Amino acid sequence: MDGYLRPNNLLDEAAIVTEVHQPDNAINVNGELWFSSGSHLLKLNLFSKNAKPELLSQFDEEISSIAAGPADCLAIGLDNGKIFVQRSGNHIEFPYIGDQELKCPTALGFIDENRLLVCQGSEHVKPSKMNLDLMRAGSSGSVWILDLTNGSQNCISSGLGFPYGIVVLHKARKILVSECWRHRILGISLDGSAPVETVLSDLQGYPARLFPTSRGKTMLCLFAARNRLIEFVLKEDEFRRKMIEAVDQKYWIAPQLKTGENFLEPLQQGGVKTMNIHKPWAPSLSYGLLVRLGPNHSPEASFHSRSNSNRHGITSGCEVQCSTFVTSKGGDCILEVSNDC
Amino acid sequence: MKIYEAISKARYNYVPDHILGELLTKRWADNVVPLLFLLLTIAVLANLIPGFLSPQSMSDSGRQLGEFLIIVCGVSIVMIAGGIDLSVGSIYAICALLAVAVVNLLQWPIPAAFAVSVLIGATFGLLNGLLIGYLKLRAFLTTLITFVIGRAIYDILLDQLGTPIQLTYVDSPLWDFIGDGSVGQIPVSLLFTAVVLVSAHVFISRSRPGWHISAIGGSRRSAFNTGINVKKVVCLTYVISGASCGIAGFLFGARLNGTGPGTGIGLEILVLTACVVGGISLGGGRGSIVKGMLGGLIVLTINNSLIRMGYHSGTNQMVLGLMLAFAVILDIRWLRNRHKVLDKVYVAPVYTSMNPALSALPESGTPYALNSKLSDTELIGAGEIEGPEDVILDEHDHLYCGTRHGDIMRFFAPEYKESEIYVHIGGFPLGLAFGKDKSLNICVGAMGLYSVAQDGTITQLSAETTRSYLSVVDDARLRDPNDLDIGSDGNIYFTDSTTRYDAHEWATDSVENRPTGRVLVYDPKTGKTKTLLRGLSYPNGVCMANDGESFFFAESWECRVNRFWYRGIKEGKMECVIRDMPGYPDNINRASDGNFWMAWLGMRTPTFDLMLKRPATRRRMTRRLPKDDWLFPNINTGGVVKFDENGNIIETLGDLGGKNHPMVTSMREHKGYLYIGGILNNRIGRLKLQGADANWTGISSYWGDNA
Repeated sequence: MDGYLRPNNLLDEAAIVTEVHQPDNAINVNGELWFSSGSHLLKLNLFSKNAKPELLSQFDEEISSIAAGPADCLAIGLDNGKIFVQRSGNHIEFPYIGDQELKCPTALGFIDENRLLVCQGSEHVKPSKMNLDLMRAGSSGSVWILDLTNGSQNCISSGLGFPYGIVVLHKARKILVSECWRHRILGISLDGSAPVETVLSDLQGYPARLFPTSRGKTMLCLFAARNRLIEFVLKEDEFRRKMIEAVDQKYWIAPQLKTGENFLEPLQQGGVKTMNIHKPWAPSLSYGLLVRLGPNHSPEASFHSRSNSNRHGITSGCEVQCSTFVTSKGGDCILEVSNDC
Repeated sequence: MKIYEAISKARYNYVPDHILGELLTKRWADNVVPLLFLLLTIAVLANLIPGFLSPQSMSDSGRQLGEFLIIVCGVSIVMIAGGIDLSVGSIYAICALLAVAVVNLLQWPIPAAFAVSVLIGATFGLLNGLLIGYLKLRAFLTTLITFVIGRAIYDILLDQLGTPIQLTYVDSPLWDFIGDGSVGQIPVSLLFTAVVLVSAHVFISRSRPGWHISAIGGSRRSAFNTGINVKKVVCLTYVISGASCGIAGFLFGARLNGTGPGTGIGLEILVLTACVVGGISLGGGRGSIVKGMLGGLIVLTINNSLIRMGYHSGTNQMVLGLMLAFAVILDIRWLRNRHKVLDKVYVAPVYTSMNPALSALPESGTPYALNSKLSDTELIGAGEIEGPEDVILDEHDHLYCGTRHGDIMRFFAPEYKESEIYVHIGGFPLGLAFGKDKSLNICVGAMGLYSVAQDGTITQLSAETTRSYLSVVDDARLRDPNDLDIGSDGNIYFTDSTTRYDAHEWATDSVENRPTGRVLVYDPKTGKTKTLLRGLSYPNGVCMANDGESFFFAESWECRVNRFWYRGIKEGKMECVIRDMPGYPDNINRASDGNFWMAWLGMRTPTFDLMLKRPATRRRMTRRLPKDDWLFPNINTGGVVKFDENGNIIETLGDLGGKNHPMVTSMREHKGYLYIGGILNNRIGRLKLQGADANWTGISSYWGDNA
């Protein structure tokens, strides 16, 4: 990693806002920080110090995606594939997308109060089993627009390698979608006036959620860095098939939210502790990485938590009152990043 | 999939892939390419030219070849020292002319003519040598100047002496015999050449000045720093080159009894091409007489054949030029990439199927379940020592350990705060054991078995065992002597973990997983070392059982512990005592309660176990990925396991999270404490053992209290 990706310790130096199990899906709801932790929807008071997260609601399944829209609209996707939308007092449930059962809602976004964008990561796996999709070289992801007034559903892009993040650009003409397995960001125009374009490719990590900043820039969360051993395993079809068959998913050679927890995890030579030192540049299946994209989507700066640290698995974030918050799902904490954009 | 695995096993375990890598480690492996090229050339030309291999043709070529090879030999020596000699053609011509003149005009005896020829050549060489060696002029320009001046001198001399020589007749049977005679079918000049080549080969590969020449070519500065007289040796190489021109010139003179205006023209290019085509590096340091000889054969065969096939001299030059260019490119590419090629092809994985093991997860409830009892040990020498693979305590409770700097450190009881370098060994000390005479016996990585007497004198006990007949690498050498123990018969039983990798690359051996380890025995009475067992999967720790007839030893990559009887009624028998452990065993030592401690250097992971069944995948991994990215066993978590004589597991200690002891390679119980070492760690841990005998020591357990 070099250039804008030159490693630093900015995520390790960032202040911990709260420590909570596997935080994800941070959003700004009317100036408040909302996020999920497992099946819980939580709210954090940013004004009082040491405030504990406050439980807003609990679901049967793990929350896989959240979006807040204008006029108090709220959409929540669950690991079982269901999407709940709360809109002007009404609850709507979407169990289907197109003519299929909705399987993997990885990211949601409101275009306006009537239209909701849905990223379906894969047609075959749940969001919590996403590595299975990677190991099967999945490319069944799609992006949809749901019209909340009449329930119509419109697919605007398909055949994607696990779309995992979405951001609506101002003027609501265009969206950016992060395509996780292909390490790129796609630009899609909502009115179909322009073809799908790749705005950023060959990313050094697995892109997750995107979120806008107040100054017109976009933040890109990457939940793990690319690893040569993983890329090698992705070419070894038979080995992968055996691994899916015989090995527990948390011990796969695959991008992980956190590592170093258990001795059954794979280890690469560079990661061997020598003289009680774990090298920061050691190859690792997990990594903490956040990238800031400029107005024309070119990367400007990055924030890292390296192999020897544990604030890994940055999955989502949002801006609340000009402060940037990100969830470290692997590090079990929410961080406030000093983002001087 | 059973069939697939059987095929995979047959393919990777019985086809000896590893031999290719082992061949490439040999210095002579570079010769294979020119040798194949030579055979190909001969095969092709024998088909193209009728009578190419006929005795008459061979004999004619042989005489010419002899002279040529002698010069190639001289220039090879110059090039091995990193120089170049362009003046050989001129010197050769002058020597030939003067040899003929001395015989024809002065009527001196033939040996005198030989002496004159060699002396004149050596003098020209000395001129080159003084200018290049002592005055530090550029070899290329200096020898170019000598070449031009030498040519001018030759032309003048030829003008003066040419006609008188032609008008005289010499009647000397010896002169004719050297020029035209044969011993059997072999021309005399070729025999002459053989003598020169053999002497030169012995000189360059077996003598002190020869080694100095190679050292200077390899790195002039390092050679100077080690005290080699660089100026003198460089000068010497040019003298040798000049003298070889003298010998060749003499042979030429004897063969033709005269010289012409064209004698020696273009010779320097031929010789240079021969050296480079043979594989002598232009940068110096790499090369041999054999390489020069192969190159000489190739160049002269092609050159002569082209002439015989009737091509113009332009074509000839063109072919030589192209060959030179190709050889130079190949030389540079190969030199730069040789180690990369070797790195890529050396690891030759085999198929290994690991049986499932009991879990070592803390919540599993098995006897292997790891805990964090080792996390908060009392630390000794933290940050001061690097790589205490093994630890041991003497009768005064002082603590000894090896370090990767090649020292044995001693920490003083009872505080273990003060330390000293007990002795400096040089290699990486691994296993330690006190003998009956209180000498410290040490397995030193990549060196052998050593002993340090109480007064600090170091003795090498063993550095080699018997060589096996079919091994390409020299398996007589001890490559990774790992741990040792002393039997009741006084013999030292020790392991040499692998013949494929050096001690510091021990973990790479797990990726290959080829069982090449051995258990050896050193007999102090005869001073001889014998191989007891071979073909083991990284044999590691050794510990004598309590019966005085057998010992336990660990086979790391197979995750098992074996017991071997070295005397008694079960002598020569081996039994597996513990099999299919979830961790990789390292050193084994006695415990105070009659049981045994065993270190785990790392843990098996499901992905690595799976990878072991897929040698092709592992092979691709080692070829495509840089080493840092290779999948390894999880050697960031280790532990200590106590087992009884029957192999039952009694307890397991661990350091989950790897705070102080991520990898454990040894442990030693002493007076109620357990001392813990790790080869990649920078500290020794000390743990108070609950309920252990506070007076028990390892030394008294082996040699009695009065020892």
